[in-house]
Amino acid sequence: MFSAIGSGVGVHGDFQGLDGPHLAGDPCLVLTTDPKPRLRWTAELHERFVDAVTQLGGPDKATPKTIMRTMAVKGLTLYHLKSHLQKYRLGKQSCKDLPDNSKDASCLAESQDTDSSASSSSKIAQDLNDGYHVTEALRVQMEVQRRLHDQLEVQRRLQLRIEAQGKYLQSILEKACKVLNDQAAATAGLEAAREELSELAIKASNDSNGLVPVDALKVPSISELAVSLENKNPSNLPARFGDCSIDSCLTSNGSLVSPMGVASQAAAMKKRPRPLFGNGDSVPLEWMITNSG
Amino acid sequence: MKVPCTTTQAHQPPSLKHRATSFNEPKSVLDLGRSPSPSPAVNKPTPKSEVSAISESLFQSDDGSLHSVDQILNLEDWVWMRELGLHDDSTRIPQFNHSDSQLLPEFPPSHSFVPDDFSLSSDQFPNESFNSVALSNDFHHMNNDDFNFVDVLIRAADCFESNELQLADVILERLNHQLPYPTGKPLQRAAFYFKEALLGLLTGSTRSTHSSDVIQAIKAYKNFANVSPIIMFSNFTANQAILEAVDGSMFVHVVDFDIGFGGQWASFMREVADRAESRRVNSPSLRITAVVPEEYAIESRLIRDNLNQFACELKIGFDIEFVLVRTFELLSLKAIRFIDGEKTAVLLSPAIFQRIGAGFLNDLRQISPHVVVLVDAEGMTEGGTPSFRRSVIDGLEFYSTVMESLEAASVGGSEDWIRRIENFLLRPKIFAAVEAAGRRAPPWREAFAAAGLRAVGLSQFADFQAECLLRKVQVRGFHVAKLQAEMVLCWQQRALVATSAWRC
Repeated sequence: MFSAIGSGVGVHGDFQGLDGPHLAGDPCLVLTTDPKPRLRWTAELHERFVDAVTQLGGPDKATPKTIMRTMAVKGLTLYHLKSHLQKYRLGKQSCKDLPDNSKDASCLAESQDTDSSASSSSKIAQDLNDGYHVTEALRVQMEVQRRLHDQLEVQRRLQLRIEAQGKYLQSILEKACKVLNDQAAATAGLEAAREELSELAIKASNDSNGLVPVDALKVPSISELAVSLENKNPSNLPARFGDCSIDSCLTSNGSLVSPMGVASQAAAMKKRPRPLFGNGDSVPLEWMITNSG
Repeated sequence: MKVPCTTTQAHQPPSLKHRATSFNEPKSVLDLGRSPSPSPAVNKPTPKSEVSAISESLFQSDDGSLHSVDQILNLEDWVWMRELGLHDDSTRIPQFNHSDSQLLPEFPPSHSFVPDDFSLSSDQFPNESFNSVALSNDFHHMNNDDFNFVDVLIRAADCFESNELQLADVILERLNHQLPYPTGKPLQRAAFYFKEALLGLLTGSTRSTHSSDVIQAIKAYKNFANVSPIIMFSNFTANQAILEAVDGSMFVHVVDFDIGFGGQWASFMREVADRAESRRVNSPSLRITAVVPEEYAIESRLIRDNLNQFACELKIGFDIEFVLVRTFELLSLKAIRFIDGEKTAVLLSPAIFQRIGAGFLNDLRQISPHVVVLVDAEGMTEGGTPSFRRSVIDGLEFYSTVMESLEAASVGGSEDWIRRIENFLLRPKIFAAVEAAGRRAPPWREAFAAAGLRAVGLSQFADFQAECLLRKVQVRGFHVAKLQAEMVLCWQQRALVATSAWRC
C-alpha cells in the first residue's frame, strides 16, 4: 500500500540537472513542458517498464527499486516508478476482463502529483482502462498499416519477378530461333526461301512413307507446301534443323506473302509489343499476322 | 514404328468389374457438357438425354440386347454404335444384327461394313424405310454430336482397358470423323487431343521434338504465361516457398523434376540477387539439377545457355546439370550430386510419379532437404487411379477446364494463339497423361506420409502474392482457395493448380 506521493520538492529536486526536454542517453525521457515538468510515459518507456516488471515476476512482486535497477534508465526516479507501478497494478486488476490486456500504452501522460489520491484508485484505473482502449485501437491501426505495407512490398516484388521471367522467356525464344535457324541458309529474299522450300518438299515426299495421319491445325492461310511439310515432319522425318527452321519461320509468320525472311524474324520478334499481363492487350501481334491473308 | 508392347500389357486390369460400375460414370462426363463456358452452349436439348439413356443402356447391358430400341430417337448414333458391335465385345468384326428392331434399314448380309464409309444418307439404303432415315437426318441437324463424342471416347478408353485394341481402333477411326480438328468448345477440343493421344497409343508413334516444335512451344509458353495466371501462380508460389526455406544460405541446390523452360529460375535468381544486395552480402550461388525426359536435348541446351547468361548478368554463381529420368529411375538419388553445406530444395510435380512411382521419396530423408514443394498442375491426380477410363474422364474434365479458363482470357479477336497454346503445351501433357493412365500411379499423398514428409503451410507472403496476381489478371473467374496446407488456384470452383510445401 502506497502512501501518496506528495512532495513536489523531492521531485523537483531530481529534475535539477535536467534542463532540456530530453536527457542524453538511451532511452530518452520525455518531459512535458509544463511549469512543473512531468514525466511522459511513452510507449517505449512503458514497454521497458513492463519488461522489467515481468522480469521481476509481475507487478505484485516487483518493487520500484528493483524496477529502477532493471530498467536502468537515466533520470528515472523512484517517485516516477512508485506512481506508475501503482497505476499499473490497478490497471491490471480492472483490465483483467479486457480480451487483449495490452500493455502497449502509446501515450500515457501521468501526473506525478496525485492531487486527490482519495479521488480513488478507481478513477485512475478508469483512466488506465480508457488508455488501454485507445492504445488497442491504435495498435489495430498499426497492424492494418503494417499489412498494407506488406502487401505493397509483395506487389513490388511480384512485379520484379514477373519481369525477370518475361525477360528470360524473351531471351530464350530469341536464342532458340537464332540457334536453330542458323543452320538454314539465312536469306532475306522471298524467292530463295521459296526455292528451298520446294526442294525440301521434294525431299520430304521422297522420304514419306505414304499415308500419314493428318495431324494439323486448321490454318487456312498457310500455303499448301508448308502444310504438307508440317504434316510430314512430326512422324517420319528425322530432325533436320534446316527443314524445321524454315518451316517454323513460315508457320509462325503465317502466309508467305509476308516479306519477312528468316534472318529478320528474330528482329521482328523483338520489336513486336509484348502481350501485357493484365493490360487488356493480351493478343500477341504475331498471331494476328498469322490469321491475316 | 515402335510397337507399344509395354503399354498394352499395362491395360490388363479385368474389364468386368469396371463395367459393373461403369453405368455411373458416363453421367459425370455428360455433366461436363453442362459446365459453364464462356461461349454460350449451342444447344443442350433433349437429344442429349436420349443419348445418355442410350449410352447407359449400352454400358449396362452385357448381353447385347438393346431393349431401349423402342425409346430411340437418336437413330444415327444408335445405328452406328450397334454396327460397330459395341454392345457385344466378343464381336471383332462388326456384324449387323437384324434381330431386334424394325427401325433399322435392311442391309444385305454380304455387305462388308466399313465404318469409315458409313454415312446415313438415303441413297445408301436399298430399302426405303424412310421414316427412320428422315428421323436420323433430323437428329443429325440437331447437333447431338455435341456430347456423344465423349461417350465414344470413353468407350474407346474401355477398349484399351479390356485390351480390345482392334475395336478401339475402329472406334477411334470413327471418332476421327467426328473430331477432325481441335475446334469447337473446350470440351470438344480436349476430346480431340485425347482422341489423338489414344490413337498414339495404338500406333505407338512417339512425338519426338523437332526444333521447330521447340520454338513454337516456347512462344506458346510465353503467351500462356502472359494471359493466364496458371504459370505464374505455379512458379512464384513454389519460388516463395523455396526462398523462405533456403534464405540466408550461401549455397543453394535445387532439384527440379519439371523444369519446363527454366523461366522460374530466372525469377528465383533475380530474387536471390536482390536480397543479397539489400543486405549487402555476397550473392549465394545456385545449383540446379534438372531431371528431364530423354527427348529433352534441345530444350536442355537452351535452358543451360540462357540460365547461365542470366546468372552471369546478375553476378550469381550458377551451375546446372541434367539427369535423365531413366537414370534417376535406376539410381534414385544417387544419380544426383549433392554437396555438403548446401541447402537443398526439391521441386516435384505428379508427372514424375506417373513415370517412375513414388518410391524415391523414401530416400529424400537422407539428403535432408530444407523443403519439398509439390506443384500439381495436372489435374489433382491423387494417384491410385482405379481405371484407365477414370483417368481419361478426369483428364478430359481437367483439360477442358484449363482450356475454358484460357479462352476466357482471349480478347475475342484471334483465337489462333489459344490453339497454339493448346497444341504445343497442353497436347504433350495430355499425351503423357494418357500414356501414364494405363499404369497404376501410386497415391502420392500416402507416399509422402510414408516418407516422413509433413506439410507445412505457405506463408502470408505467398498468400498476398497470389491475391496480387489474380488482381493483375483481368479475367474474372479465377480465385485462390486454401485447403489445409495447400494453396489451390481455381477456375470457377474447379481446381487448376495445387501447390504445397513439405518438410522431412
